[in-house]
Amino acid sequence: MDTRVEIAKGVVLKNPVLSASGTFAYGEEFSEIFDLSLLGGIITKGLSLKPKKGNPCPRVFETTAGMINSIGLENIGVDAFVQEKLPFLGQFYTPVIVNFFGNEEEEYEQVAARLDVDGISALEMNVSCPNVKKGGIEFGKEPDILYSLVSRVRSITRKPLFVKLSPMVKDIREMALAAQEAGADALTCANTIPAMAIDETTWRPVLGNITGGLSGPAIKPVALKLVFDVYQCVNIPVIASGGIATYRDVIQFLLAGASAVEVGSASLRDPMCFISIIEGTAAYMKEHSIESVAELTGKLII
Amino acid sequence: MKEVRGVVRDNTRVAHDTFLLSLDCDLPVSRPGQFVMLQVACGYEPFLRRPFAILGNQARTLEILYKIKGHGTRLLAEKRTGDNVNVLGPLGKGFSVHDGEETIVYMAGGTGLPPILSLAENLRQGILILGVQSKDQIPLLSRISSLPGVELKLATIDGSCGRMGLATDVLDDVVCNVSGSVKIYACGPKGMLLATSECAKRIGAWCEVSLEEFMSCGFGVCTGCVVETTGGNRRVCREGPVFNAQEILF
Ligand SMILES: Cc1cc2nc3c(=O)[nH]c(=O)nc-3n(C[C@H](O)[C@H](O)[C@H](O)COP(=O)(O)OP(=O)(O)OC[C@H]3O[C@@H](n4cnc5c(N)ncnc54)[C@H](O)[C@@H]3O)c2cc1C
Ligand SMILES: Cc1cc2nc3c(=O)[nH]c(=O)nc-3n(C[C@H](O)[C@H](O)[C@H](O)COP(=O)(O)O)c2cc1C
Ligand code: FES
Repeated sequence: MDTRVEIAKGVVLKNPVLSASGTFAYGEEFSEIFDLSLLGGIITKGLSLKPKKGNPCPRVFETTAGMINSIGLENIGVDAFVQEKLPFLGQFYTPVIVNFFGNEEEEYEQVAARLDVDGISALEMNVSCPNVKKGGIEFGKEPDILYSLVSRVRSITRKPLFVKLSPMVKDIREMALAAQEAGADALTCANTIPAMAIDETTWRPVLGNITGGLSGPAIKPVALKLVFDVYQCVNIPVIASGGIATYRDVIQFLLAGASAVEVGSASLRDPMCFISIIEGTAAYMKEHSIESVAELTGKLII
Repeated sequence: MKEVRGVVRDNTRVAHDTFLLSLDCDLPVSRPGQFVMLQVACGYEPFLRRPFAILGNQARTLEILYKIKGHGTRLLAEKRTGDNVNVLGPLGKGFSVHDGEETIVYMAGGTGLPPILSLAENLRQGILILGVQSKDQIPLLSRISSLPGVELKLATIDGSCGRMGLATDVLDDVVCNVSGSVKIYACGPKGMLLATSECAKRIGAWCEVSLEEFMSCGFGVCTGCVVETTGGNRRVCREGPVFNAQEILF
């Protein structure tokens, strides 16, 4: 049995389980409780060109089987990451995939250029950000805007490029195809779902930013459908993100079409869940005599 | 930080809506002011863990003093001897403890008592000011009033015990009567911490406050719990929960 997955040319994951961006910081905290080399790969917190302070508190609200966050992409900036965090991550035997974003196309290019360094296996673009120059509409909402952005970043970097799609779009297949045509090596499906919470005692929004993004097991069925839709229209690997908390979720997402999965919110409540998910996935494969992850990807019986 | 299994030894009501939980558990050594994240639910309701200060952590026994606030703490109160509670900790930075000649003043309000009590039991000196709504809300009164080397002063809003009013009213009196310099440790509602911090500034006292913020991970990865300080955003769960009062932009 082989749990390895080649998610992009030269990027081999030892198992299909990755950390999601924004729930793993830059790896230091998790390394205190388990050996990060056990992971299929590490995806780090989204980086911008300059350090970003994020949104006012409260930034997190708990919901039924999940949470809404409006962290506002607080991060230390790309230069501090490369200097202070990347060397630390280098000690683990697992690919480091760096998530990044920008407020305009130029910023995406500049960040990607600065990440074209040793020790980074691939880049994951967060396109659920407002395009400041185009009136604030998210890059990931219009196929032509997304195509233009991904093409520009593609020409800047030699690293494998993953595009993390927004879930709230007219047709995710159009977005997936635009990203693929522009040269994406893989697609992450998907980001948090826009959401909000209201306090009926004060008549005010709960989050400092008014709105945020829903994540956790609550969004799993939605993410499953997005992966299912995207898998059928592209020929590059799909990475699932949304509500994954157990090995059973992993198997379900693989059947829907994913080649790997990201674990986010579940690891906030249970940081050791990575280990049980990885072991459970391997045990499932063994028990069902499944030789490789490819024997599961997209094998949903209809 | 470690994830360990805790087994409930005892979980009893010690005041109106407050419980003392003792867990058999192999938590690494901790300092006063550090906390744990407890998994209160078996399923996803509530989804996240809940943060609680470490009251005691000795001889494989973890002590938590908690007040019922909502669903999570209600579930915790339903735990019976022998039940499992998953524990993540110790987390955060504790109080900084260094020797000095100063008179130590502890300020505790509401759910802020556990970390302060843990510190007072450790330092065994000073004056502990505890503010609560009314007498029946004071947990572990015999334990607090018999702290070796520590003098207890109570403030109740309804006047049922000690001085009628706020803990900070008592603080103003205490600092007037102390000769020499004062060192203050505080944990409680924001308003109390702000008033304490202002008092400390006025008299030039060194002051540490332990903050409470909603926490989703408790170990520093989500940046959901940040507080604004003179040095920028700091994670309450990681760089705190204890901060130098003058660094906090209340
Ligand atoms: C570092 C730290 C140490 C703490 N130590 C103790 C302690 O020793 N004893 C104790 O009784 N309580 C302590 N608390 C507060 C305790 O965590 C909350 O009361 C508890 O999480 C409420 O959970 P619930 O599900 O019962 O309430 P919920 O239904 O979730 O909420 C009820 C109320 O509690 C508030 N609340 C919810 N979660 C938190 C949270 N994570 N932090 C702060 N407030 C919250 C909500 O804003 C709401 O007003 C501590 C909090 C922190 C951050
Ligand atoms: C606190 C928090 C911070 C996040 N930060 C980022 C980020 O910086 N960049 C990004 O692309 N996605 C970010 N996400 C989205 C997650 O990576 C993930 O796609 C989403 O939460 C759904 O997966 P989950 O249900 O497993 O959490 C964040 C999510 C959470 C909960
Ligand atoms: S609660 Fe997640 S960083 Fe503090």
